[in-house]
Amino acid sequence: MSTVMKPIYVEDKLREVRESGRLAFRSRTLPTWCPGCGYFSIEEGLTWALNDLGVANKDIVVVSGIGCASRFPFFVNAYGFHTLHGRALPTATGVKLANEALTVVAVGGDGDGFAIGGAHLSHAARRNVDITYLLMDNGIYGLTKGQTSPTSVVGFRTSTSPYENLDRPLNPLLMMLSYGASWVGRSYAGEPNHLRGMIREALAHRGFSYLHILSPCVTFDKTSKTYVNLGMQVEALPETHDPADLAGAMRIAMDTERLALGLFYSELRPTLGDNMDELVARASGPPAARPKKAAGGRR
Amino acid sequence: MKAMSTDIQIAICGSAGDGTIAAGEILRNVMAGLGYKVIAFDVYPPEIRGFGKCIARMRVTTEQAYSLKPQSDVLISLDDSHAIPHVGEVRDYGAVIYERGSIVQLAEGGHISAHVRPAQLPYAVPLRELSEKSTSSNRSRNIVALGFLAGLCGLQEDTFLNALSRKFKKKPEVAESAQSAFRAGYAESADTFKLDDVVFGPVPKAPVAAGSAVEMMNGNAAVVRGCLDAGIENYFGYPITPATSIMERLALEMPKRGARLLQTEDEIAAISATVGAGFAGARAATATSGPGFSLMTEMLGLGVIAEVPCVIFVSQRGGPSTGMPTKTEQSDLHIAVYGGHGDAQRIVIAPTNVEGCYRCAGKAFEMAERYQTPVVVLLDLYLSNRYETVVFPARPPFAPNQSKAPEKDQLGDAYRRYALTGDLISPRTVPGDKDGMYVATGLEHNELGRPNDQPQNHEAQSRKRHEKLKAALAHPDFTHYKRFGDEGAVDVGIIGWGSNFGECLEAMIKARAEGIRCAAMKVVMISPFPVAGVTGFMDQCREVLVPEVNYEGQFANVLQANVGRPVARLNRVPGAPMAVGDILEEVRRLAARARRGHEKAAA
Amino acid sequence: MGNPSRHHIVIGSGVAGSQAAATLREREPDSRISILTLSSLLFYNRYDLPKVFRGVRDWREFLVQPPEYYENNRIGVRRLNRVAAVDSARRVIVLDHKEEVAFDTLLVASGGRGYVPEELTDYRALMHPFSSYTEALRTANALPEGGHAILLGGDMIGLDLARTLIDTGHQVTLIADDHAFWPHEVEDAERAGFLAALDHMGMRVIDGRAAGGIAAVEAGAKGLSARRVALADGSEVRGDVVMPFFGLTPSVEFMLGSGVDIERGLLVTPGLRTTDEAIWAAGDVCQIWSDEVHRYRFFYGWKNVRAMGELAARNMTGADDPWVSVQDEHLRLTPEGAIHSPFWEYQ
Repeated sequence: MSTVMKPIYVEDKLREVRESGRLAFRSRTLPTWCPGCGYFSIEEGLTWALNDLGVANKDIVVVSGIGCASRFPFFVNAYGFHTLHGRALPTATGVKLANEALTVVAVGGDGDGFAIGGAHLSHAARRNVDITYLLMDNGIYGLTKGQTSPTSVVGFRTSTSPYENLDRPLNPLLMMLSYGASWVGRSYAGEPNHLRGMIREALAHRGFSYLHILSPCVTFDKTSKTYVNLGMQVEALPETHDPADLAGAMRIAMDTERLALGLFYSELRPTLGDNMDELVARASGPPAARPKKAAGGRR
Repeated sequence: MKAMSTDIQIAICGSAGDGTIAAGEILRNVMAGLGYKVIAFDVYPPEIRGFGKCIARMRVTTEQAYSLKPQSDVLISLDDSHAIPHVGEVRDYGAVIYERGSIVQLAEGGHISAHVRPAQLPYAVPLRELSEKSTSSNRSRNIVALGFLAGLCGLQEDTFLNALSRKFKKKPEVAESAQSAFRAGYAESADTFKLDDVVFGPVPKAPVAAGSAVEMMNGNAAVVRGCLDAGIENYFGYPITPATSIMERLALEMPKRGARLLQTEDEIAAISATVGAGFAGARAATATSGPGFSLMTEMLGLGVIAEVPCVIFVSQRGGPSTGMPTKTEQSDLHIAVYGGHGDAQRIVIAPTNVEGCYRCAGKAFEMAERYQTPVVVLLDLYLSNRYETVVFPARPPFAPNQSKAPEKDQLGDAYRRYALTGDLISPRTVPGDKDGMYVATGLEHNELGRPNDQPQNHEAQSRKRHEKLKAALAHPDFTHYKRFGDEGAVDVGIIGWGSNFGECLEAMIKARAEGIRCAAMKVVMISPFPVAGVTGFMDQCREVLVPEVNYEGQFANVLQANVGRPVARLNRVPGAPMAVGDILEEVRRLAARARRGHEKAAA
Repeated sequence: MGNPSRHHIVIGSGVAGSQAAATLREREPDSRISILTLSSLLFYNRYDLPKVFRGVRDWREFLVQPPEYYENNRIGVRRLNRVAAVDSARRVIVLDHKEEVAFDTLLVASGGRGYVPEELTDYRALMHPFSSYTEALRTANALPEGGHAILLGGDMIGLDLARTLIDTGHQVTLIADDHAFWPHEVEDAERAGFLAALDHMGMRVIDGRAAGGIAAVEAGAKGLSARRVALADGSEVRGDVVMPFFGLTPSVEFMLGSGVDIERGLLVTPGLRTTDEAIWAAGDVCQIWSDEVHRYRFFYGWKNVRAMGELAARNMTGADDPWVSVQDEHLRLTPEGAIHSPFWEYQ
């Protein structure tokens, strides 16, 4: 990722932001994350992408679990559901199945998604429920002030592993690829332009999109997944990689030294909602015979 | 034939694979089709294969009955080793129908004829031989036995033959074979003498309102009907005995109505998705049993604090833990009312019969929407699997869209999702509604829905969440509680809930026949507790008895906590319905105590 | 008295068996007593069966003892149990449904069942037997009000039924043969007089001997009477039911392999013991050695049968008394010309 350094003036930037319309997606609640947290750029990326896609605020639902990342809904000007630790995906599934007109974004951290909520990942993926899952991986439990997470590296010292972390970390991308997620990508909070493009693509994908976002915890991780370390590890996906090549994607995901950023895998197949509509059609006859769904809210 | 009332109970007992339950199903369907009132409850083993004991019991009446009888009039044995312990439940001059021969060598007492009491009538029928002769297979012994029973009781052969052809409509050769077996059994009965006092009398023509329909179904099927009639849109569930058949039926019916059902990966996902769909504005439900409900309680608390409408059906079974999955118990009342962390008041309703399952299911959606809360509908295995004839009204008695919508000027930036209104129910938007955006959260929040842990706010929101539910005690068109039996002051009042109330009613009827001044009250809405109604009833009872199929007296605990008065408790955990005789005995004891009280007062 | 582990089994729940069970219980309060019977009912008197034509259908009205009697006296009764064999060596009874029941002493009181002469066995399906409650009911159901019953043979059981049938307004035709008046022994010289007395009672009497016997029994064609009996001389009788009354034949088939001596009935000593020291017999099933006539002979009549049951039970429990007939066995005519049989004296 080469960047040409040009001077940026605050006034210009503010004007640009105001004119872009992105602010319509920012809530009045100010984020409570620590200064320097990677989540800021994720929030920026989401609001940019939503704006860019032209989704109406009223038709967006951001669902989260518990954790630093899960405070996300409060900072987005949309409907939000801040649920229980680990339960963002099943709740988001319920929201989406109740109203397919909604754009449903599930957000959460590595602990929320891969520890307590681990049981739900595979099922959301295999069902291809049409939601976007933004997984913010900082390799640590931030909200509870720094404990080991399922993506913490071996040897990592935290308050619950004061000697060292003994458990080898999960490989989230490899898991999601093998679970059958129809869209799998990785991005990095330290590369906001790449990130927002990836969020946009994930949202635009019809089906279950999993975007893994490397995001440093500047407060509790001074040694492992820092901007410096990650910055040295990330690289672009090989240009030759075909996103339809699942085995290729898995091979790249298996490299935990070099962290490739970009779209690993993408496949278009019927979503859970499509399949259910098909089932309804089969069970209840031609669509004309069925009651029409009301637009907008369900009431 | 002169007008007479019919009250006959038939038990069919066999081993898994004997077609015990299937025979029971055919019989009860025919009897219901003839216009009799039927209550039926089957007992089956936890194992699918193997040789576990199955019993199909049904009570067929012309007058309304409320529970099974302690004694059966007829027992059909399809497997002596299982049926022998049940010979004793056949009344004097009742009949025991069994396989005449045996293909294996039996030790002394191995044949049921050794156990038939002198006052009972034995009917030895060559079931196997007749099955083999009529169908070239020994698999129709159950149908042969049915045929014999029908002939013995003077029931019309055609009615059954038609029922068999309906049952196997898609497999004519199976229907034909079953009919042959039935005829063989029926013919066999011609050569024996009849059961003089097991006679099915004429069915009185009961006035049925135009458009309404009498149907026989079990509690779970009635729940499904209630859900469908209330317009269920989303169901999420995970299989668990004895709730599974709710999901199985919904899976068949919902797609026909454009509604969506998903089998989730676990109960946590089921309740999460249900709450998610409820948040999104759908009429959504899940069903489970105790173990699954234990997993759901955390999310139930989220439903309470985020004020999300959703319906949870809990069919109780023997516990704790895996307990007795195929036995009934009423031991999940505590968790239904109190389960979960925090002050998480919710609505809990418990139907007492199959018709109640229908009404409670439908009404639960209304209440969930109107009071913006999870509603728990408590059933148990006995009620879930108990068949009754039910009169369904012509039009579903359930109202759509009970959600309080905001006025236009309440929307926009100032929209207060959790506004403290006069009735404490806040105007609610759902995703897709313009200018109604908010974040539902499990964090304590202010009226706007923003996280807020200030003391005043927590006090106000806690009060709101509790007090708003009081309105449910006056929810329209709903029987929150009901009194039966003697009016005015009585010596003994029975307060019952759930499936066990039928037994309470039968005991009350018997007690009154013995001259005991007695009344019974069913309590359907358990949370919030109808304090005024129950207190009013207790004021008129010298003694109050609370019979429950649990060890701890869970309902009595809830009652005492709300009413603040002690009650006499009767607790049994047989894994089966409570014996009416046990309740009656307790009523007699209390009545005697009440009389001594009267005498003391008079002296 | 007695020993709880001692098991007395009585096969048959008629007069002999039931009396034996009662006596056994009296003498041994602690022994285990079981009655095995083919009947679906507890003990009832065969001579009560004609009551079904007087409208008494409820089986409970036929019971001699109420069901509680058996429970109170701890007498086990297994109904609808057919004995397939008796294994005297192992002291075990094998039931038809493959169950084995062990005994210490056994009393066979299985009685007799209606005999049908060889030449008529082909027509058995067209005849209505009358030797059990179930059969009686079936016959009663087949005979319409005022209907016509054709009695074949003419034993005293049949003639007793005939009295009831006439009394209840039915038509009765008797085709008498050698079994007429069985088990009374009637001299040829007396026979005509007795037959005339039957005629006098109100039944039509055909002397089958004179007619050369019965040639056939047929089901009537549609619209005609239900049954037709053709006689050898070409005459015929039409009626609603045809009932065989050719006397009784002892029910002993299940004893064939047991090793005890059998002639027509089970052969027993004057003390009613068979040739097996643990097996006794009483009632219509046994032939008792008579020192008077130096042969085994049957004794009939319910009083005799009851006395046999009692005696057998006494001897099974330690007594050693000989059989003495208690029944007058002579058929007479009253001065009014009516039949008088001591077998008809019920109480």
